[in-house]
Amino acid sequence: MIELILVFSAAIFGIGVYGALSQQSFVMIMMGLELMINATVLAIVVFWWGTTGGDPRGQLLVVVVLAVMAIEAAMGFALVTAVYRARKADITEKLKRLRN
Amino acid sequence: MNPVVSVLFVGGVLGVGAYVVAVLDRAFGPVSRGPRDWFVWPIRRAAFLAVQRRTETERPDAEAWILAPALLAALAAVGLTAVPVTPSLAVADVSAGVVLFGAAMIIVMVAVFLQGWSPNSLFPLIGAYRFAAMALSFGIPFSLVVLTTAIPAESLSVGAIVASQEGLWNVVRQPLGLPVYLVTGAAVAFWGPFRIPEGTDLAGGAVLEASGSVRAVWRIARAGVLVTLSVMGAAIFLGGHLGPVLPGWAWTALKTLVLLAVFVWSGHAFARMRVERFVWFGWVVLLPVALVDVFASGILAL
Amino acid sequence: MSVLGVTAIVVFGVASVVTGWLVFRTDSMVRAAYWLMASFVGVGAMLVTLDSQFLGLILILMMAGEMTIMAIFMVMYMMNPAGLNPMVMVHQHRTAIAAGVGSFLLLATVALVADFPADPAPAGADPTAELGFELLGRSMLVFESAGVALLAVMIGAVAVAGKWGRFGDADAGSVEPPLDPEEAAS
Repeated sequence: MIELILVFSAAIFGIGVYGALSQQSFVMIMMGLELMINATVLAIVVFWWGTTGGDPRGQLLVVVVLAVMAIEAAMGFALVTAVYRARKADITEKLKRLRN
Repeated sequence: MNPVVSVLFVGGVLGVGAYVVAVLDRAFGPVSRGPRDWFVWPIRRAAFLAVQRRTETERPDAEAWILAPALLAALAAVGLTAVPVTPSLAVADVSAGVVLFGAAMIIVMVAVFLQGWSPNSLFPLIGAYRFAAMALSFGIPFSLVVLTTAIPAESLSVGAIVASQEGLWNVVRQPLGLPVYLVTGAAVAFWGPFRIPEGTDLAGGAVLEASGSVRAVWRIARAGVLVTLSVMGAAIFLGGHLGPVLPGWAWTALKTLVLLAVFVWSGHAFARMRVERFVWFGWVVLLPVALVDVFASGILAL
Repeated sequence: MSVLGVTAIVVFGVASVVTGWLVFRTDSMVRAAYWLMASFVGVGAMLVTLDSQFLGLILILMMAGEMTIMAIFMVMYMMNPAGLNPMVMVHQHRTAIAAGVGSFLLLATVALVADFPADPAPAGADPTAELGFELLGRSMLVFESAGVALLAVMIGAVAVAGKWGRFGDADAGSVEPPLDPEEAAS
């Protein structure tokens, strides 16, 4: 049971890696990141359920990861907006120079 | 509860509840319509919509358009499952029942957005965007007020919250809770003064292009969401099935009916609010009131 | 675990993987956001089956709001939000596929080969209550710093994305279109 769910988690993580590396649009990259975090949350909970014997610190870690996910989404969207305002760029191909 | 019985129960409650909402809506309307019209008109209207031919728009998102009313009805049903109707009878009294209810009500935002996005038409899209702005504004006060009722109960399950009101109903212990719940509940079901995504300034908004069975299911599902809000409000604020003389389910029905009447009456008593004003109202007024409610309940619980 | 639980986990697991894959296959941007939400709902349902009802439901609740925000941002920043034309916007496609498949194989191998200690959570305990005691008891510092971090991000996001900038408003110099169509054409 643990192995099966970990395989699912690995699959979602792999799809997230593919998405984060291959997509050009900022929002799609963020979707890839979200999928990766999704997979890690599933993995944490299955480890908590199967191997720690109910230690509540496993659930605590998930709460922290959820807070991190919210922080990452918020700052990501704020930065996308700021970059769009400064450079009129909504896909990564338009950002070729680091300066200016 | 047995799965088949629970499906029938939830379906029955939502069906009867939607009919009661429609009857009350006609009853609170102009006085010139007689009592016979109140009971007959909803059935005639539903029958008319069910056989009406659906109009198509250009390049709609067809699957999402059929999904949106079904999703709304499903959310009403899910929200209803956490409530204990009598001390021994609840469809699914999970240990985090109020969180289930809150999640179901927040996903209403997704359903309305899909309904507005799918017809590929301007006014429904504007209605959907306005509802997204509304939903973000009322979401936090709604969740805060619902979670505050869990503080005296020291548990998130709705059965425990009802049981904790043996001595004193939550509406008395947390006086700020029920008004905020009524306001944000009406906003969740976009009823009355918060009928913003379907407003007449958008020529019908999110349901402008919906016709036939889609429109009928949407209306019934929206009434169902109102029923779920009333049942849950009766359980967490008015004490659910607690009461001296009548059996438990009778008290639940009575309190639900009271809250339903208040919701439907508000539709006829207040004019529709502008969306900018509601956003301001949600963040500047409702959120501090909800926070004061939380703090006060926390201090009382210590 | 009961048969119903096992079938639920298998069904939701497959659903999460498939909808996660569809996020990057679909043309319509709003559908991409909602496929992602379906993937999260699948994972949330799996969490509920694994005795963590509070975490699963909180995940679903958060993701509903977040995915609607993503849909709105998609429509803002993508040139083809409704998917009326098919499009494939990828760069370094082969590298990405290799990285994705590689990470999946690596993690799946670790999952299948490693020997995990079997110490299952007790069935009768109330995980929500225990989480509450832990969060507000021993790990109060973690809770507080998460709260402060969220507050900092709220302020930071508004500061980064606000339209008032060092060099003037973001929409300074923008001109509203005239009300008269002939004026606009000229």
